Amino acid sequence: MLSAQLPVLSLLIFFPLAGCVALFWLGDEKKVRVFTLAVSLVELALALPLLGFRLGEAGFQFVEHAPWVASWGLAYYLGVDGISVLMVALTVAILPLCVLCSWSYIASRVREFHFCLLFMTSACVGVFAALDLVLFYVFWEAMLIPMYLLIAVWGGPERRYASIKFFLYTLAGSTLLLVAVVALRIAGGTFAIPELMQKGYSFDFQYWVFLAMAIAFAIKVPMFPFHTWLPAAHVQAPTAGSVLLASVLLKMGTYGFLRFCLPITPAGAEHFAGLMIIISLASIIYGGAVALGQSDIKKIIAYSSVGHMGFVTLGIFVFNLRGAEGALFQMLNHGITTGALFMMVGAAYERSHSREISDNLGLGKYLPAFMGLWGLFAFSSFGFPGTNSFVGEFLVFLGAFQRQAWVGFAAVPGALLAAAYMLRLTQRMAWGEPSSVSGWPDLNFREWAYLLPAAFFVLYIGLMPGVFYKVMDASLQNMLSLMQRPVAHYDAPPAPQKSGGLLQAAGLAGREGGR
Amino acid sequence: MTAVAPGSTIVWLTLAAMGLPFAAFLAIFFVTRPRLLPSLVISLACSAFSLAVAWWLLIHLRGIDAPLMFQALWMHGGQASIGFGFLLDPLSLVMLAIVTSISFLVQVYSLGYMAGDPGMAKYYSFLSLFAWSMIGLVVASNLMQLYIFWELVGLSSYLLIGFWHQKFSASQAGKKAFVMTRLGDLGFFLGIIVLLLNLGDLSILGLNSQAAAKLSPALLTASAVLVFCGVVGKSAQFPLLTWLPDAMEGPTPVSALLHSATMVAAGVYLVSRLYPMYAASADALAIMLAIGTVTMLLASTMAMVARDIKQVWAYSTVSQLGFMLMGLGAGSYFAGVFHLTTHAAFKALLFLCSGVFIHHFGTNDFFDMSRQGARHLRIPMVCITIAGAALAGVFPLAGFFSKEAVMGSLAELDQGIWLWAGLLGALLTAYYTFRLLFVMWRPLQPLQDKQSNPGHDDHQHSGHSSFGYGVMSAALIVLAGFTIALGFLGDKLIAFLHWQRPPQIPHHTWLLVTAILVVLVGIALAWWEFGRRGAAQEGFLRRFPALETLFARRWYLDDLYRRLTDYVVYGVFSRLCTLNDRRVVDGAIDGVCRGTVGAGWLLSFLQSGLLQYNLFAMVLVIALVGIYFLLL
Repeated sequence: MLSAQLPVLSLLIFFPLAGCVALFWLGDEKKVRVFTLAVSLVELALALPLLGFRLGEAGFQFVEHAPWVASWGLAYYLGVDGISVLMVALTVAILPLCVLCSWSYIASRVREFHFCLLFMTSACVGVFAALDLVLFYVFWEAMLIPMYLLIAVWGGPERRYASIKFFLYTLAGSTLLLVAVVALRIAGGTFAIPELMQKGYSFDFQYWVFLAMAIAFAIKVPMFPFHTWLPAAHVQAPTAGSVLLASVLLKMGTYGFLRFCLPITPAGAEHFAGLMIIISLASIIYGGAVALGQSDIKKIIAYSSVGHMGFVTLGIFVFNLRGAEGALFQMLNHGITTGALFMMVGAAYERSHSREISDNLGLGKYLPAFMGLWGLFAFSSFGFPGTNSFVGEFLVFLGAFQRQAWVGFAAVPGALLAAAYMLRLTQRMAWGEPSSVSGWPDLNFREWAYLLPAAFFVLYIGLMPGVFYKVMDASLQNMLSLMQRPVAHYDAPPAPQKSGGLLQAAGLAGREGGR
Repeated sequence: MTAVAPGSTIVWLTLAAMGLPFAAFLAIFFVTRPRLLPSLVISLACSAFSLAVAWWLLIHLRGIDAPLMFQALWMHGGQASIGFGFLLDPLSLVMLAIVTSISFLVQVYSLGYMAGDPGMAKYYSFLSLFAWSMIGLVVASNLMQLYIFWELVGLSSYLLIGFWHQKFSASQAGKKAFVMTRLGDLGFFLGIIVLLLNLGDLSILGLNSQAAAKLSPALLTASAVLVFCGVVGKSAQFPLLTWLPDAMEGPTPVSALLHSATMVAAGVYLVSRLYPMYAASADALAIMLAIGTVTMLLASTMAMVARDIKQVWAYSTVSQLGFMLMGLGAGSYFAGVFHLTTHAAFKALLFLCSGVFIHHFGTNDFFDMSRQGARHLRIPMVCITIAGAALAGVFPLAGFFSKEAVMGSLAELDQGIWLWAGLLGALLTAYYTFRLLFVMWRPLQPLQDKQSNPGHDDHQHSGHSSFGYGVMSAALIVLAGFTIALGFLGDKLIAFLHWQRPPQIPHHTWLLVTAILVVLVGIALAWWEFGRRGAAQEGFLRRFPALETLFARRWYLDDLYRRLTDYVVYGVFSRLCTLNDRRVVDGAIDGVCRGTVGAGWLLSFLQSGLLQYNLFAMVLVIALVGIYFLLL
């Protein structure tokens, strides 16, 4: 077996870290950029063995297992299934695009910037590949720091406010997640996620653990009342930061729902499903409504993200295969489309030095290639048939209708709002009375290089979604069947004697909460 | 149903006819755009090929007795898989012939009309894109494929309406068209989902054969009505009818192709496509009939007061589409499709003739055209008269026969009101058509010196070359031929559409006479007011200013929608959400943060390191604890 010979996932995690270290020996800015690009391309090549992913298998593949802190039962435990393999692929594929779109955008502290990018990729791959709760948590927290730095150092004028807001908000969620991690260790007796999925827990336990995890993930997604860090962070972040944030970081929240909330605490998820669906619908419509009233292009796209991620969570919490497929498709689609839109805003910013719509008018005549690609991504963003998002939205709608008709109907205004704000934006950018467009160059080779791959996948997923189904179906089906396991009628077992004092104390807290 | 074997001639030819226009779009848009001649050659060659295949198929398959289908798997959804392919039956064959013919003619015509425009290559690439999506829509084998091409047709419409970059109003109109049709399309989309979930099959043949049997009546009506929402949007029916007149901002050949003959007729085509399903739901048919009637009458009244020649034809298109839906809603499949066919010919002709005038005189106002000597352009003048007479329903032109078929189906209904509404519509149609024709023929004060009117100028002209005029006239003459001939093919068409087993169509002599009389009254009224020597050329509506304003303002529908979006969506909904986001949601978070900092600041006094404060705090705590224990 390939996975037995080659630790693919470890390589994917540690290769960028090695690149980080190597960056310290490079002084020249140009060299730093070329080197990072090379690292990112090698990283992409290292991900090629993932193509050997066996379709139709529900379990984890490319598994690596080694004891880590044996006395606490911690293990270095990695593996991917049909859900996470797509996320890992997305993360790895976005990296070279991020390097390319920062080529001329980032002018100061170039080495540190690329250090952050590489470090971030390591952590993100780790989050999606970890099968040990503590390992997951370590990666989850590790990824906060480079993102914080990306916003705080290379961001716009209000970067301090935005970065601190981002950091504190996410950290607040993380503490709740930590409580859940410890509680699961106490109740399940292990940190291994696949084993935790098989166990039965009492309803009360599931109720509280679900709530703790769900708040953490909902902040990350972000879902409706917890979303305000996102526009602030997006607007202030540099282009690459926005792209990473939209394409990868947001996915961690919804990934968390799919990986933890549904299979580990199914009864809790079922109990809160109605609430989560309503919050998702609120996100969809609210995000669209606010996006309609913005004048900053980045803000529009940021709020559109809130709406799109609402579709993802909606697909997750209708608890059927179509919905879950749609959610996973939308996670991929949003990563591609919104990432590309942010890159294009960055490209426009490099010309106009402004993110206001009114400073980017009338590009259609002088920048036809730019506008053509923008049109493609904008249409993809509101789910135009033939593009990737249509497939995802269609499946989410199917799932919603399968659950209850009103859920499907309630999401409809969101789809219309999306078309409205995207067309409003596109129309002004393409046809508006131009202010100072005439001297601007159209897309250069580097810009083509990072936009074309995204455009390719927009159409590929839109026209031939079949192969993606095959990757995700078995795992999603397995996840849904895990949700059917009965609720245990006993309380959580007492913590094993071996565990240390720290865990005892935290466990008490967890059980107190569990009452 | 007959599944055709992959690899047979029919499959290859059909797939090529479906695909080549798209190839033309890609080739022109990405490769040959800077160079005009190769772009034109590619576009016209692909278009001619599709045309040839369409007519070959129509002739070759004229005797088929079962639909031909070919499809490949695309994706799965629900319990069913969704395929991609084509379905050839009499309806799609007829529509295919219409679409490719008009599309080709418009491409030829545009050689003259668009000559000298800097974006001409791009224009042809968009026309190819449209041809591709429209052909895909027509031959779609299942509803999902149809929906995808349906949206793509909307996209090409959006691009073509906003084709002239210098006209911001054009892009505004394009956006309006797109959003309004999309509003309807959401209903269509929901209808597809309902059908897929409850039937598990989206193939058109499957829907037509099983929907009535497998769905409960309520569900059947619900899904039929949801799908019909898409028709209302695309075919500009009440209440979504106001986008079509605005869409006239685009180049005139585009109006002829998309916004009269083919794209807007796609809605009517969809209903015909699913006609067995609609026929199973009496409620859905009743709704269709009512909406068609209301639209037809509203749009006719709007056409009576318009001064812009394209606007008149736009309103008339809306009204004729409503008329087709009346025929379908009254239960006659044939009547709807027949009128669709003849309308495509004469309405395209009307637009193309108007294009010649607009091109020549640089104005859209037909009173102005007339004054500048429109009647001296013989070929377009004769053609517009033929087409106008066909629109009004004058014997023996195409429109007369198809209108007669629709009237006949209306007469079969129990309530007489529909027939009366139809006759009223015919009266108004005859009136507004001949109002325009009489004005054109008989200028009030002919101008000797031509003065240009730049306000309505469509685009920069490169002078009036005789080549351009010749090419445009050629297209007009072909269409005029169709307009004269199509009416006599009604019997052939009915036999073909019903698989050689035509139903008995009852003929009412009294209806025939009444209809002719009504048309004559309309023409006579128009002649009295506009045509006779010394006529003031003012409509009788001038004496009812309230009505005239009402009609000219499109029954205030547009104002209503604008207010609705401006005040309710932007002003209240979006603004409130934005405010709420900044003040309430974000404010709360910032408040919590400030509270934390403030509490820390307060607590910091406890840790000031000054002994007296520490002692004071200690005493205070002891005192409080003491009070607590003593009192409780």
